[in-house]
Parts: sequence; structure tokens; C-alpha cells
Amino acid sequence: MATSDEIMEALADFKEQCNGNKRLRRMQRDWTKVLHYAAVDTGDKFTMTVREGEILSNEKGAAGTPDVIIEGESETLCNMFWGDINPTQMYLKGEIKVKGTQEDIMRIDAITAIIWPEV
Amino acid sequence: MTASAEDIKKQALADFSKYVNPQKARVLKNAGLDIIEGKREGACVWDITGKKYIDCITSAGSFNVGRRNPEIVAVLKKALDEYDLGVFLLCSKQKADLAKKLAGITPGDLQYVMFGVGGGEANDFAIKLARGFTMKTEIISTLKAYHGHTGFSLAAIGRDAYKKPFYPMVPGFKLVPFNDLKAAEETMTGDTAAIILEPVQGEGGIHPATDAYLQGLRKLCDEREILMIFDEIQTGFGRTGKMFACEHSGVVPDIMTVAKSLGGNLYPISATIYREELNDFLVAHPFIHLSTFGGSDLGCIVGMAVIDYLVKNKVPEHAAAMGERFQKGFDVLLKKYPDLLLEVRRKGLMMGLQYTNESIGPRMSYQLAQNGVMAIYTGNEPSVMRLMPVLVIQPDEVDFVIDALEKSMAAIMKQGGIEKY
Amino acid sequence: MTVVDDILAEKDFEKIRKETETNYREYLNPFALRMFKNAGLDVIEGRREGACVWDISGEKYIDCVTGAGIFNAGRHNREITDALKKALDVYDMGGWISIIRERGLLAKKLAQITPGNLKYSIFCCGGGEAVEVAIKLARGHTGKTEIICMENGYHGVTGFALPATGREVYKKPFAPLTPGYIHVPFNDLDAVKSAITKDTAAVLLEPVQGEGGIRPADDSYLAGLRKLCTENEILLIFDEVQTGFGRTGKMFCAEHSGVTPDIMVLAKSMSGGLYPISCAVFTEEISDFLYSHPFIIINSFGGTSLACLTALATIEYIEKNNLPERAVQMGKRFMEGLLALKKNFPELVVDVRGKGLMLGIEFPEDSIGPRMACLLKKNGVISIYTFNNPKIIRIMPSLVITEEEVDFVIDAFDKSLKEIRAQEAGRNMKGAGK
Ligand SMILES: Cc1ncc(COP(=O)(O)O)c(C=O)c1O
Ligand SMILES: Cc1ncc(COP(=O)(O)O)c(C=O)c1O
Repeated sequence: MATSDEIMEALADFKEQCNGNKRLRRMQRDWTKVLHYAAVDTGDKFTMTVREGEILSNEKGAAGTPDVIIEGESETLCNMFWGDINPTQMYLKGEIKVKGTQEDIMRIDAITAIIWPEV
Repeated sequence: MTASAEDIKKQALADFSKYVNPQKARVLKNAGLDIIEGKREGACVWDITGKKYIDCITSAGSFNVGRRNPEIVAVLKKALDEYDLGVFLLCSKQKADLAKKLAGITPGDLQYVMFGVGGGEANDFAIKLARGFTMKTEIISTLKAYHGHTGFSLAAIGRDAYKKPFYPMVPGFKLVPFNDLKAAEETMTGDTAAIILEPVQGEGGIHPATDAYLQGLRKLCDEREILMIFDEIQTGFGRTGKMFACEHSGVVPDIMTVAKSLGGNLYPISATIYREELNDFLVAHPFIHLSTFGGSDLGCIVGMAVIDYLVKNKVPEHAAAMGERFQKGFDVLLKKYPDLLLEVRRKGLMMGLQYTNESIGPRMSYQLAQNGVMAIYTGNEPSVMRLMPVLVIQPDEVDFVIDALEKSMAAIMKQGGIEKY
Repeated sequence: MTVVDDILAEKDFEKIRKETETNYREYLNPFALRMFKNAGLDVIEGRREGACVWDISGEKYIDCVTGAGIFNAGRHNREITDALKKALDVYDMGGWISIIRERGLLAKKLAQITPGNLKYSIFCCGGGEAVEVAIKLARGHTGKTEIICMENGYHGVTGFALPATGREVYKKPFAPLTPGYIHVPFNDLDAVKSAITKDTAAVLLEPVQGEGGIRPADDSYLAGLRKLCTENEILLIFDEVQTGFGRTGKMFCAEHSGVTPDIMVLAKSMSGGLYPISCAVFTEEISDFLYSHPFIIINSFGGTSLACLTALATIEYIEKNNLPERAVQMGKRFMEGLLALKKNFPELVVDVRGKGLMLGIEFPEDSIGPRMACLLKKNGVISIYTFNNPKIIRIMPSLVITEEEVDFVIDAFDKSLKEIRAQEAGRNMKGAGK
């Protein structure tokens, strides 16, 4: 189990990785979305706002209308943001659930493929 | 020389990632579809490591005569003893023969043929012909439609994601909801050249057009001198239980495009077939549309062999019967998994399973791959899984697919995440 | 009996010709048939081999059309044919979204033989389709829209390629076309310079204009373009559909100038004239676009297993037999002959030019192109004028052409020019008599 603060810390690192990656920013420049993350075991929720490929903010709580909702165990989410697991494999095994368009899901996978190519 | 199949596979995946499309390789791997095709036969394909799958993808209807059909292979090999592509600028007997044959098997007064290589190219020509002939510019197409990735076809696609990064598109295209006659009527203007649609939307999620819709459109088009273009690239050559899907409704278009299965899964060829009257445009502009590889000698011979095979073996009828057999299985699944499988849409062996949400398509692909079936969601509608096996599929293979579906659905039910959103 | 048996069984050539012509009239394009006849192109191909093709009636010709460069490795090349036949024992097309081993192998090979840092490939069927991919990659990657292309260029007839084709007749009946294409004169660096805006995504050109009348780009022009593009973050696209695979005396024409484009488009001779395949080859940087859009460019027939194997066999053949070098040698021999013709027929031959075995001979007026084609056919050579410019006859034989065959073609030109000269003299006499 991961606490809300631990997940926020992982999210902050994820944000830094994404925003600092010029290649990724260019690649994702046509991607403007609101993502919600929900830890099913702890009930914690998080909101990530992306504009033109840049992660603008990560906040606690579910704010605004999400384009994509990602649900999983708090530990799984945390590992995902640290780049310790391949989110798509988790997703296909049903360990995380993603509600959103298939296209957005592939975009998220592309982000992880760029920052953690070996996962 | 004796690399193991596993090593070859590893190397192939690495090469594909490094030189073709890394993310595509990754997505397929994640969906359990990192299959490197080895042996192919009938309805089946074997991964080079030996695992057998029933192919329900078939490049969305390109393999109607079966994978590596021995009769067609023999014809092509024999043709290779004599011919090469030929020169697209010269008269070719093979091209003339296939044109005549296509005129013969297509419905109504469809008669003249322009050959191409890919399906998109055939649609591009259909749209160009409509504009050139009518001297009007507007093209109506339908939401969720797929017509190919070349420019004119692309503009007619009913899904923004395919187009947006490449803006601006060819102007003059208007999208209307599919199966909505009134919407089409309201969109028609004095400048409408044509309406293009698939008799059964394929990538859009397997949506058959109703007979009334097509008949209504035909009437409207006649009244307003608008051309009707049917894209039968997925639906043609027996897929829906008739040689062409439009035969179900009895509506004959002014222009029809075919590709995919015309090439017998061996050789790329496509064709645009149109009414005699429209040929006036090409009399005035005989060399306005050129395709180096279109209607090559070898491609035409394969096309002839495919048509002969389909007719001789009554393949459309067989497709209709196998479709019925699938339906029986679907009826059971619909009852058993109502929270997962909302609906089945089907015409012949063009079948779509409507799941509750977009995540289920890829997850089912993954499960089905584990159970020996290759299947994937439709491009424009990921909540729909398309099942389009070869038309020469046998009854026991149909049962195998149904069984794999049952097992996969059971697994997904256990995982959860099936609610509608 | 299969269709092929049926086709091969018929030996009555008059019957075949009649039937073919009827079918063209009834099912293909009645007017084109007439044009074929008028242009001396009413050959119905039977046997094909090396640089030659035989009409079904048995008449032999040297093929200088080669589908504008499909048959670099020779007509009906036996080695490549055998490779394709062998492939047919195991393969079919392969699935469109499958990971195809042969596709990976071919892409790797292309990365090795194309110049500079060109690395990733997207495969299609036709040349035009691959040009479309190149333009789409340019827009998708740069986020800009304008494409600068050349007057008299030819890039194909589908929606994104057609507007790049620099000739109105191909386009006008189909307007409005995809916006954002700007045409500038070829070989004019300043023209490109002044056409560049903040929204320019790419510059697209053929290193030797083919349909535009066999016009090679100057090395300094290409080098200037490269610099200009790099400075302005514009992609440079070479359409090597006609010039690729040894035609100009190098594997790729870009090598003459040492300029590497960001995207190179290949088709035609890529698969030995036996199987449709084309591709856009591009740099790693551009491939990033495929991360965010892995399935945005899909096609059913692009880069099938059979196509890729055939292409691999073709490249092997070209390399093994050093066809680029052969193009240099035979090109030189041709050029000597053509220069002699220019000297002997100064009133009829305005210019001869080209690179390797991509050659053009220019006449003073449009009508002479088609007339020459007819006479050349009579003298055993199939040739055709360039589409965007009928004043110019294109000479693009197979690269396996022999010295004797080169001499035969030159001789046929000599005879044909003599006839034209006689015709013109006759006409002038009549004119003078009035
Ligand atoms: C209905 C339809 N039209 C056109 C096309 C495009 O054909 P191609 O991929 O050969 O260009 C497809 C391909 O999936 C299709 O399904
Ligand atoms: C330079 C060039 N680009 C593109 C094309 C179009 O190729 P295709 O006819 O295969 O579409 C051609 C065809 O002649 C060409 O010469």
C-alpha cells in the first residue's frame, strides 16, 4: 500500500521526467487531457492536467471532467509512476483499469515507452 | 544457419522495432499479438515457434480464399514463368481479361474498370472520377467510415484522429451519420458530386447499412444527379454471404471500389468499377490517372484466379452458412455474458462483437491470443471486436473460435473492469 | 485448367489482339487505346527478358520505357522470379498489423544502403502512396503545413501526392485539392528561399526530374537546399521513385551530390518489376511521430511478406551484379551516341542529357516526341515521351542492357531521325511549291 503523499511524490517525478524530455514534448504536443487516477484500496484520487504534451499539474482529489480514468491498487499506481512496471501489461492483465479511448491509452503507453524504454 | 525459432523471433521483433515501428511492436506485444507468422494454411496461421492460431483478422477481409490458397499459389507461380509486372503504359491482355470479368460479376450496369494497387488508391480515383464527371465538388461521407489513407480517401474518413496531424485536408468533404437518410438528404446541395459509403461499415465497428437506407439514398442520388460510390473493399468477394454486399439490398451504385481479397492474399491489386456513362470523363482525359503497379499482369492473373475460385466453390454461400453457425454460438454468449457482450452485428462472415467499453477490445485480443485465436478491435471503434476469418473456414474451426471466445470472456469477467462508460 | 493455362493456351495472336482491343474498348479505356496506337505503343507484351520484350506476335523490341524505371534488374529477371516463387512455397502476404519478419529485414537492409542517417521505413504499394506518407510525416512531425514542391515535378495522383505534381492538367478537374502546396521553379535556390515561411514543413523534389523531362538537379542546388532546410527546421524529401536502385549510376541519386534528405521515397525498381512495393525511409528523429501515432498510417498491401522478400532478392541482385556501375558504363556509351546524333541532326535534336541510364533527348517541338516514338517502334525500340513534356523522349532501359543493345537503340534513333528529316524536307518542299 502506498500513501497519498508517496503517490504524489511519484507523480512529481513522473512530471519532471515527462516535461524534461524534449523528444516526448514534441511527440505529444497535440495531446491535451485531464487524467484522474484512483487508488482502489485507499480511495485516494489524483488529477493530472496535461496541455499540449506538458504536465501542468498533479493534484490530490478528482477535479474537473476527466478524459481518462486510471484505477488500480495504490502500490501499482506508485510503481507505475516510478517506472518500475509496464502499465500496459498491467492493464491487459486487469490489474489496472483504464477508462478512456483506446487512443489515449496508447498515448500513455507511448509516454512510458519513451521515458522507460526498457520496462 | 540453425538459429532457433525463438532466436529468429527475438531478432525479428528487434528489427521491427529498430527499423519499422517501435511503438507498434510494443502495442502488439502487449496485446499478445507479437506473432511472427510462419506456416499459413486455410483458416490458420502458425507462429514461427509453432503455436497455431485461427486468423480472425485476415487484414480486415483480405484473405477470403484462405491463407496461402494452394490453387491461387499455383496460378501465380505458373504466371511467374512467363510474366513480370508488365508496363502500365501498354495494352495488356491480362488487364483486359480481368476488366471484363469484373464487369461480369459486379451487379447492374457497372462496366468500366480503372485498376490500382491499394484500396485507398481505388477510392481516391472514385472520388476524382465523381468530381471530374459531375463537375461538382462536394463529397458526402459517413461518420466512422474508413476509406484508406491516401488523400481523398483520408478526407472521407469519419474519424478525426486519422486526419488531424496532417491538416489541412482536401476541402469539400461533409460527414453525415451512417444509416440516417434524412441527414444525408439535408446535406446534399446543388454542388454535391457524390456520396461514398461502405455497405457494411468495417473499421467503424461492423455496422450494416439498412436496405431502406441504401434504397432511399439511391433514389435521392438519382433525383439530384449525385453519384453513389460503394466502397466494397472489405465487404466484396463473398464476405457478407453474397459476392458483393450491395446485392443484399439490390441497390447498384454508380461506382464501386474493390481491393483486399481480389489479390487472393498473394498480390496487391485494386479496382474502381463504374458505369459506362462515367467513362466519358476518361475519354476526354485518358491519361489523367496513372498507377505504375496498378493492374499489373501478375496482379490481374491472380484476380482472375480468385474470382474463378470463389465462383467455382460457391464461397459466398459457404460464408453465409458459416456465419449462421457463428451466430448460434454468439446467441449463447450473449445470454451468458450480457454485462460484457452487448450486441453482435453480423452480415455473413463480417462479424462484430460490441463490448461494453473500449478497454475490453484489447483485453479480449490478449485473452484470445492465449486461446489460439488472432482477433483485434476495429480501428475506429475499439469497443468492437471484429471477427473476419477466411471464408473457407470449416465448421470445427468455427466451433473452436466460439469456444475460445467463451474461455476469454470468462477470464475477463473474473478480472472485472467491464462496466460501461 | 487454371486461368493461366487458358491464357497461355491461346496461340492465335490476331485473335488475342482483337480480343484485347475489344476488352479495352468495352471495359477499360477506349480512348487510351487510340492514343496507344497513335503513339506507337500498341504492343501487347508477351515474352520479356533482359532489356527486351516481345510482342505476342513475336516481334522483338528493346524496352526503353520500362514503366519509367520499374525494370532496373531486367525484364522478368529469372533470379528474382525464382526467389519469389520460392517464397510462394511458404508465404502469403502476411497480416497487415502483424509483425512481419521479412519487413524488418528489408527495413534494416534499406537503412544500410540508403545514405546517411536514413533509418526507419514505412511500406506502401505504389510510389504515389509513399509520397503521401512522406508528406504526412513532414506535417505530422513538424506541426507545420506548407510543402514546397517543383514546377513540372511528378509525384503521383492520389490526394496528398497529386497537389505536389507540378502540372495543372493532372489536377484541374479534381479541384479543390489538398491546400498548402507551393510550386517553385526547379534548380532555383532563390525561388525556394523566398517561398519559405514559418509554416513550411518540407521541400519535396526529384533529384532528377523524370516526367518533367529528365532534368538533373545541380549538386550545388541540392547542397544549398540541405543547408536552407536545416537552418529553417524544414524537412528535405527526395522522391527517388524513378532515380533509385542504380538508375543514375549510384544506388541512390542523392549520393552524387552527397546530400542526405530527411525522407527518401522509393518504389518502382525496388522489387525487380515483379511485385508492388514502395516505401518512405526516414530518420530516427522523425520516427518519434510513430510513437504517438503508431497506427495512423495503415494499409492492407504495403510491404507484404512476399513483397519484402522480392525486394531483398532484388537488392541482392543489384549489388551482386553491380548494376549502378553498369548504368555508368552503358550510360556513357549512350551519351556518346546521343551526342553524335545531336551533331548530325542539329535541326532536330535540341539537347541530350541525363545521369547514368536516365536519359532524355529533346526535340524542338511537342509533335516530334510522339512521331519519334512511332518510328522507333518500327525500328525495334519501345520508347515514350515524358508526360509533363512531350518534346522529350525518355530513354530508360533496363540496367542489364548490353553494349550491342545500346548500339541498336542509337541506330534506331539514327534511322528514325533520318525519316523525320525526310518528312520535314517533304513538307517544306510542298510549302515552297505553294
Ligand atoms: C472499407 C475500406 N476501404 C478502404 C480501405 C483501404 O484499403 P488499403 O488499405 O488497401 O488502402 C480499407 C482498408 O482497410 C477498408 O476497409
Ligand atoms: C518520381 C515519381 N514519383 C512518384 C511516382 C508515382 O508512382 P506510382 O505510379 O507507383 O504511384 C512516379 C511514377 O511515375 C514517379 O516517376
